[in-house]
Amino acid sequence: MRKFAWLSLVKRVKNILKAIKKYFGLFLKYIGFIWLKQRFQRIPNRYKKMIYGLLFIAPWLIGLVYISIPIFLKSIRMALSDKYYFITGVGWQITGKWYEFTQFERIFTEEPYHLSQISATFEDVLLVVPLVVIFALILALMLNQKIKGIGIFRTIFFIPVILLSGNMLMNFERNSLLTVPAIANGTISSFMTDYFPDLFNEVLLNAFGQIVLILWLSGVQILIFLAGLQKMDKSIYEAARIDGASIWELFWKITLPAMIPLIYINIIYTTIIYANLSNNALIQLITSSSDESRSLAGTLTDEINYGRAYSAALSWILFGIELTVIGFYSLVVRLSSKKYD
Amino acid sequence: MEKIKKILFGRNEQSGLIFKIVIYLLLIGVSFIFLYPLLAMFARSLMTLEDLINSTVSWIPRNPTLKNYQTAFIWMQFIKALTDSLQVSIMPTLATVISSALIGYGFGRFDFYGKKILMFLMIALFLIPSVLTYIPTTVLYRDFKILGIEVKLMDSLKAFWVPALFGNGIRQTIFILIFYQFFRIIPDELFEAAEVDGSSTLRTFITIAIPLVGPAFLICGLYSFVWYWNETALARLYFGSEYTTLPMSLDSFIATYSSMYSQGQLSMDAASQTYNIGVQYAMTLISILPLLIVYLFAQKWFIEGVDRSGIAGN
Repeated sequence: MRKFAWLSLVKRVKNILKAIKKYFGLFLKYIGFIWLKQRFQRIPNRYKKMIYGLLFIAPWLIGLVYISIPIFLKSIRMALSDKYYFITGVGWQITGKWYEFTQFERIFTEEPYHLSQISATFEDVLLVVPLVVIFALILALMLNQKIKGIGIFRTIFFIPVILLSGNMLMNFERNSLLTVPAIANGTISSFMTDYFPDLFNEVLLNAFGQIVLILWLSGVQILIFLAGLQKMDKSIYEAARIDGASIWELFWKITLPAMIPLIYINIIYTTIIYANLSNNALIQLITSSSDESRSLAGTLTDEINYGRAYSAALSWILFGIELTVIGFYSLVVRLSSKKYD
Repeated sequence: MEKIKKILFGRNEQSGLIFKIVIYLLLIGVSFIFLYPLLAMFARSLMTLEDLINSTVSWIPRNPTLKNYQTAFIWMQFIKALTDSLQVSIMPTLATVISSALIGYGFGRFDFYGKKILMFLMIALFLIPSVLTYIPTTVLYRDFKILGIEVKLMDSLKAFWVPALFGNGIRQTIFILIFYQFFRIIPDELFEAAEVDGSSTLRTFITIAIPLVGPAFLICGLYSFVWYWNETALARLYFGSEYTTLPMSLDSFIATYSSMYSQGQLSMDAASQTYNIGVQYAMTLISILPLLIVYLFAQKWFIEGVDRSGIAGN
């Protein structure tokens, strides 16, 4: 008797579930889905395409709303707070008013311990960026020659594209592999100091001192220049040659003007990549002061020395440095290329 | 005389012998500088401890040995580190490539209101330096919710591939732009023909668009793989001790080594047998060897990538 009741109960539940499924299906079919589908088909083609387009980029939109923008806003809020820490069960705590600019005051006036790192990074980026762009252009011109075996050289020149990382550069720096000894302290430097003005020497010796760094940084830039060079119309060169232009003139009057948009791109690219490599003083400061225990716990103890807010402010300063460098060199290129317009 | 001059200096189109020799010399010189760190590391990784200490030996080891490599293999637990590395790079790479293809297709083939603004936003957000987002990202990922669902990102591979799936992988904007460019240059007629034949949008995408952009998949896959492979700072932060990739293991070796010898001096004691610069270089070379192999097989695509991405102004 009991067994029978049990079975009937199971049966009943099953029936109910079946009915729910059926009616839900009907509901979906006749009220929701089919209607939507019909409506969708009636939408003009143009709007339909829009909806499809939005559906395709939906992953990015979700990422934008849930990852990129929150991160961006957080980085602003962090830089403008006093302390930013986590308490289990309560959540993230923010202290300090945003308009007080506590961290920036700390960095520039109250505790100016890190100003030297900031200015060192600024000088470093300011020096390396033009060198990389110029070297990249020269190397791209060399690689653009039609001679035998150029493929091998290309393969070698682009190895840094895959191997370049902050750690790799730090590895080189620690073991003084950033310069080729024969270049750094050989005859070149003494020759230079004898014959050239000081400022010029300083820049050039600096370039030789980190020649490996500069070449290793220029992989992608060479690629960009090379792609641009190969797209250039050969007939312009021929026409100019017939008119009696020398190679020197060809470079200054035809090649260089065509490269100017790419120079802007490369200035931006180099600045961003180089400023974000972990071998500069500011980045090391930012990573070391943000998470003392390297545990992501985010507790108040991590905030004792400098803390998240402090390093967020430092990263905004780094961003400022990047923008300044990009702006400065873009202006230089723009002013010096004015005669081409 | 005229002939010699022609050979040496060349005529209009043909460059002369002198020019060629100069170019070759320059190219060889620059190639040497490019390879210098790798060559120096290779030479020193073959040296015995005596050679390393002896300052008169600078390039060619007196009695080359592979012992440093052996030590390195054992220290970094090569097989485990390699599998970890592959796991850490392959999964996020797949996520990056799939989502970049979708997003690139959406941007490349469809017109909708605000597309320009969205693309501008994408590029603007990309230009923001990664270090600026470094700290807030770790704060965000710690208790991450997406569409109200809590996703445990920390201490698992999800910290890499979930953001990649939503267009926030490492430098993913570049990949989206590459796909955008590739999809845009496909002629419209192909898609119109498919539509007339009654193919749905998704089907057109899978059967027509994707096969046409094979190179884009390769380029993005390779770059993404390399970048995830090289990423150590984020990996250490996200994975903790769950995964130890080859570069991470190299890092921890360097940390131990430099804490032992702050000035880099070596002695003949037992610790120096394991912790010396030769082992460190051997380890460095081991950790980049897989990348070099990939590069040598796929260099054509690496180089074509920038050309096709449209960064160079088309």
